[in-house]
Amino acid sequence: MNALTIHSLNKSYVPGVPVLKDLDFELAKGEVHALVGSNGAGKSTLAKILTGLISPNSGKISFREGVSENVVMVLQELNIIPTLTVAENLYINSLPGKFGIIKSAELLNRAKKALNKVGLAGIDPAMAAGKLGVGQQQLIEIAAALEKKSSVLILDEPTAALTGPEIELLFDNIRALRKKDVAILYISHRMDEIAEICDRVTVIRDGRRIATHKVAEVETPQLIREMAGSEVAAFSSAKQNKRTVEPGLTVKDLHAGEAVKGVSFQANRGEILGIAGLIGSGRTETLRAIFGADPRSSGEMYRGNQQTAFSPANPGEAVAAGVALVPEDRKLDGLLLPLSITANTVIASNRKFVVNETADEAATEKVCRQLAVKCDSLSQAISDLSGGNQQKIVIARWLLCDCEIFLFDEPTRGVDVAAKGAIYTLLQQLADEGKTIVVVSSDLTELMAISHRIIVMSNGRITGEFGPDEWTRENITAAAFAGYDSTERSAA
Amino acid sequence: MKKPGFLKSVLLAAACAFGLSSCGQQESDKDGPDKPVVALVMKSLANEFFKTMADGAEAYQKEHADQFDLIVNGIRNETDLTAQVNLVEQMVSRGVDAIVIAPADSKALAPALKRAIDAGVTVVNIDNQLDEKVLAEAGLQIPFVGPDNREGAKMVGEVVAGQLAKGDKVAIIEGVPTAFNAIQRKLGFEDAMKAAGIEVVSSQSGSWEMAKANTVAAAILSEHPEVKALLCANDSMALGAVQAVKAAGQTGKVLVAGFDNISAVGPLVQSGEIAATADQHGDELAIFGIEAALQILSGGAAENQKTRVDLIVKK
Amino acid sequence: MNTKRFLTDYGPMFVIWLILIFLFGSLSDHFLSSRTLSTIAGQVPPLVLVCCGMTFILIVAGIDLSVGSVLAFCATLFCLLIARAEWAVGVAAIAAILAGGFFGLINGLFTVLLRVPSFIVTLGTLKIAFGMAMLISRSETLTVGMKLEPLISPLPGPGVPVSFIVAVLFVIAGQFVLSKTIYGRHLIAIGTNESAVRLAGVETTWKKISVFVVTGLLTGVAAIFFAARLGGANADSGNGFELSAIAAVVIGGTSLMGGRGSIVNSFLGVLIILTLDAGLAQVGADEWVKHVITGAVIILAVLLDVLRGGVLPGLAARIRNYKK
Repeated sequence: MNALTIHSLNKSYVPGVPVLKDLDFELAKGEVHALVGSNGAGKSTLAKILTGLISPNSGKISFREGVSENVVMVLQELNIIPTLTVAENLYINSLPGKFGIIKSAELLNRAKKALNKVGLAGIDPAMAAGKLGVGQQQLIEIAAALEKKSSVLILDEPTAALTGPEIELLFDNIRALRKKDVAILYISHRMDEIAEICDRVTVIRDGRRIATHKVAEVETPQLIREMAGSEVAAFSSAKQNKRTVEPGLTVKDLHAGEAVKGVSFQANRGEILGIAGLIGSGRTETLRAIFGADPRSSGEMYRGNQQTAFSPANPGEAVAAGVALVPEDRKLDGLLLPLSITANTVIASNRKFVVNETADEAATEKVCRQLAVKCDSLSQAISDLSGGNQQKIVIARWLLCDCEIFLFDEPTRGVDVAAKGAIYTLLQQLADEGKTIVVVSSDLTELMAISHRIIVMSNGRITGEFGPDEWTRENITAAAFAGYDSTERSAA
Repeated sequence: MKKPGFLKSVLLAAACAFGLSSCGQQESDKDGPDKPVVALVMKSLANEFFKTMADGAEAYQKEHADQFDLIVNGIRNETDLTAQVNLVEQMVSRGVDAIVIAPADSKALAPALKRAIDAGVTVVNIDNQLDEKVLAEAGLQIPFVGPDNREGAKMVGEVVAGQLAKGDKVAIIEGVPTAFNAIQRKLGFEDAMKAAGIEVVSSQSGSWEMAKANTVAAAILSEHPEVKALLCANDSMALGAVQAVKAAGQTGKVLVAGFDNISAVGPLVQSGEIAATADQHGDELAIFGIEAALQILSGGAAENQKTRVDLIVKK
Repeated sequence: MNTKRFLTDYGPMFVIWLILIFLFGSLSDHFLSSRTLSTIAGQVPPLVLVCCGMTFILIVAGIDLSVGSVLAFCATLFCLLIARAEWAVGVAAIAAILAGGFFGLINGLFTVLLRVPSFIVTLGTLKIAFGMAMLISRSETLTVGMKLEPLISPLPGPGVPVSFIVAVLFVIAGQFVLSKTIYGRHLIAIGTNESAVRLAGVETTWKKISVFVVTGLLTGVAAIFFAARLGGANADSGNGFELSAIAAVVIGGTSLMGGRGSIVNSFLGVLIILTLDAGLAQVGADEWVKHVITGAVIILAVLLDVLRGGVLPGLAARIRNYKK
C-alpha cells in the first residue's frame, strides 16, 4: 500500500525553466526509499513540495492519510534556532504548556528521552542549541523529526555532518520506524549508506524520473550512469604519484582557543594532505587559525621554503599571502545568498577601485565553465542554485586569486556525486600545478580516495600520520580516538 | 556666572533622574534643616525662554541663599509629559517643601500635582495656567502666577494690524495645538485681527520649532501669495518664518511677529524684519512663583497673580 | 538595456513622487508653481546628505539614530563660531564637518571594534550630541544674519540654490560609489553576510567604521546647509530629523536588514517626504491629519517595495506563463 502517490508533477520557479517535469513517484508504507540525482535534478524541490513549503504548478499528490500534516522533513541545511534551548528546539511547534506557560519539567523530561534515542544522552536539554557543534545540531533536527510521529519522514542528506557511530544510531532509528510502517524518503549522495539502509532507490535527472530499482538488484556504477546521463562522473581514483618533498605549508606547535592544542604538520607542494578526525577534534579551528580567521595564541607557520614566519592577523592578510580557505558551512561563512553568482565569485579577487562589470562577468564565466556550474545566468541569485553548484562557486572565487595554499573544510558536504567528481578532479589539478592542498573531511572513503597522505587530529592534537600504503579505516579511527584517551589518562 | 549654575542644575537633574536624590539632600542638610527647599520644574530647557526663567531664578536664589534652596529641572521636549510627571514625583520623593511648575500640559499634570499636595508639598503654577475645570474636579486649589498670554498676543497683533489695512489677509503659525499658552496666543492674535477687520486665511502648527515653522511658512507663502503677515506664537518660529519670507523674496512685504523676546530676535526687531514681539519677563516669572511659594510656606494666602507683559517694537 | 534597468530601478519611486505632485497640484491652486518647487529644492539638501550616509549604514546592516542631534550640534557649533567667535565661514564650516566626522568615528569604533549594537551606541551619541549642543549654545538660538545667503538663494539659471546642486552631486557620487566601486560592492556583501566576506579575505572592520565616519562628515555638511536655510540654529533643531532620514531611506527601498539599497532611491524618498510636508501645509491640513497621512505614505511606499521585490514579479511571471 502506498503512503504517498505523486502523479505528473510540474514545477518551475522561472518561466521556461522547469525544475520538475511530469514527475511520477510512489512511496510505500514501511519502506525506506532513496532519492538520488545530481545537481539541480529536483530532489530538494520535490521534498519541499511534499512538506507544503512550496506549491507545484500542476500535478496531483495523494496521501494515504489524506492530509499532508503527517509529512515531516529534516532539511539539508540546518534550521536550529541557536538562542533557544535544545529542548525548545526539539518541540518548537508543540511545546507542552498550560495557559501559554511552558511546563519546563515535562519538556526537559521528554527532551532527555528523545536525545537518548539519537545518542546525545550527554547533552543537557536546557543548554542553548547554538552552543552545540554542527554534527550535534544535525542530530537535534533528526531527533525533533523523530518526535513528531509522522507517517511520512523525509531526510535530506541527514548524515552530512555526522560521524560513523552517529550514523549507526540514526540507522537504528530508521529501522525502528520502518517496523512501525512509517514511509521514509531518504535523499543522499552516499551510495554505501543507500546500500545499507534503503529498500528501493529512485533516480531523477533534470526533473524527471529516470528509474526506480530495488537496492538489492542494482550496482552503484549503474546508478551513477543514470544520474549523470551521458557524461559519466569523472573522477580518477588512479592518483599520479608525483609527490615532492618541497614544503608548501609548515605549521609548528599551533595553539588557538580551546580547540587547538599544539598542532604541527607539514604539507608539501603538489600534495593533497587529508586531515581526518572526529567532529569537534579541532580540525576546522586549525584551518581557521592558519587562515587568520580566529586568533592564535602561539605557534609558528612558514610558507614554502621561506625562513620568515607567516602570521596573518586576519583573512585579508592570509589571502594576500596566497592562502585560500573554503569554509565548512557555506551558508553561514561562504555565500552572499541574495547576491548574484558574479558578485559571489569575484568577492575575493577584486582589489581595484572601480567595478569592471564586463571583466568580472568574463572571469566568472570562465571559472564557471571550468567547474561546470549549472545556472541560467550569471546575474542569477546564488540562493537559486543547488548545494553542489553553490560549493563550486565558493571554490571558484579562489581560482581567481593567485593562491598557492588551499585549505578545504568538508569540500563535498551536501554535494551530489557528479559535483563531487568535479571537485575531486579540480583538487588533483591544483596539486598537479604544484599548489599545496589541505583537505578536512569526515568522509573517510573520500579522504582515502583523494589524499596523498592523511594526518589524524584528535582532541586538538595530531595523533597519527599515514601514507597510502599504511592507512586503513581501523588505524585512522583508532588514531581519531587516541587523543581523548591520553587526556583522560594524564588528567587522572 | 551663568554656566556653573546651569552645569550644577544639569548634574542635579541627572543625579535625581538616577534616583541619587541624597546628593542634593546632603547639601541642604548641611545648611540647616529649617531652610525650605523649592523645586522649579520647567518645560523645555532647550527653549531660551525657559532657560532665561531658570537663570533668573538661580540668580535670585544666590541673593537670598540664606532663605531657601533651589533645584531646577527641565525636560527636553515641551511635549514630553511623562518626563515632567516623573520630575514632579522625583521632587516629592526628594522631600522638597514647594514645587513651582510650568506645566507641559494644562490637564495631564493634575494627578501628579495632587499627589504632591497630598504629600504636603506646596505647589505654585507659573507660565501655563492649569485647566480650572480639571483642578475643580480634583478638588485642588493651586495658585497661578503668570502673564495673560491672550492679552500679550493681542497687543502684538494690534501692532501688526496697525500697519495693515482692513480686508488684508494674514496667517498664524501656532505652537503645539494642545498647549494652553499656544491656544491663548492664537486666540489673542485672532482677537486683534477680528477687531481690525483682517482675515486669517491659514492657521497651522509649527510645533514651537524653527525648522518646522520654516517649512510651514514657506508653504503658506506659496499657497497664499496675498498674505501680508505671519503671526508666530513664539520667537523661534518667527525666526524660521523670517527665513521663509526671505527665501520667497518677500522681505519688507510680509510682516512677521513673534512672542517671548529671546535674544536672537532683538536685532531683527530693530531692523524691522520682525515687527513685534512680547516680553513676559521670564526671568521674573519664576521669581514671582518662588516668592509666592515662600509666602505660602510662611503662612500666607494662596492667590492668583498676573505678571506684566511688555510689547517690544522697533525703537 | 541600460535605460530599461534605469527605469525598473528608479521608475516606481519617481512615479510615486509625480503622483504626489499632481495630487497636491489638483488640491491647491498654487502648488504647481516654480516657487513651491524652488522652496522644496531649498529644503532638500540637509536631509539628502544625511540620507546618503544613512543608506550606506543601513546597507551594512547598521543604523544611526544620532544624525539629528549631531546635525543640531554641528549647526550650533557652526553658528557659534561665526556669530560669537567671528571665524571665517569656510573655517567654521570645516570645523563643523570635522565635528560631525568625530561623532561618526565614535559611533563606528564602538559599533565595529567593541561590537556594541549600532542602535545602542547611536542612541547614546544622540543624547551626548544634544547635551553638548545645549552646553555650547547655552540653550540660546544663534543667528548668523546674511552671511550664508549665497548658499541658499536660488541661482538665476536653474532656479535652485547651490545647496541643492551640491546635494545632487553627492547623490550621483554616492550612487557611483555604491554600484560602481569595489568598496561599494564590498559594503553590500558585508550587509548580506559579513562572516563570508571576511573569510573571502576582504577587510571589513575599517570599511564598516568608514561608513559611520562618512555619515558623520555628511551630517556636518548637512548642518551647514541647515543653518543657512534657517539663518541660524539652536540645540533643538535636529529634533526628529533622524526619523525623517530613516523614513526617507526606507521609502527608497533600502533594507533595514542590510545588503540592499540605492542612493538615488533614497533621494527620491527625501523628495517624497518633503513634498508631502510642503503639500499638506499648503492645502492647510490639520496638524494631526498630517501625521496620519505621512505615516500611511511611509507604510504604503515600503509595501510597494515589498510587492515590487517579490509578489509582483511572481504575478507577472505567472501571467507570462499562462499566455504561453
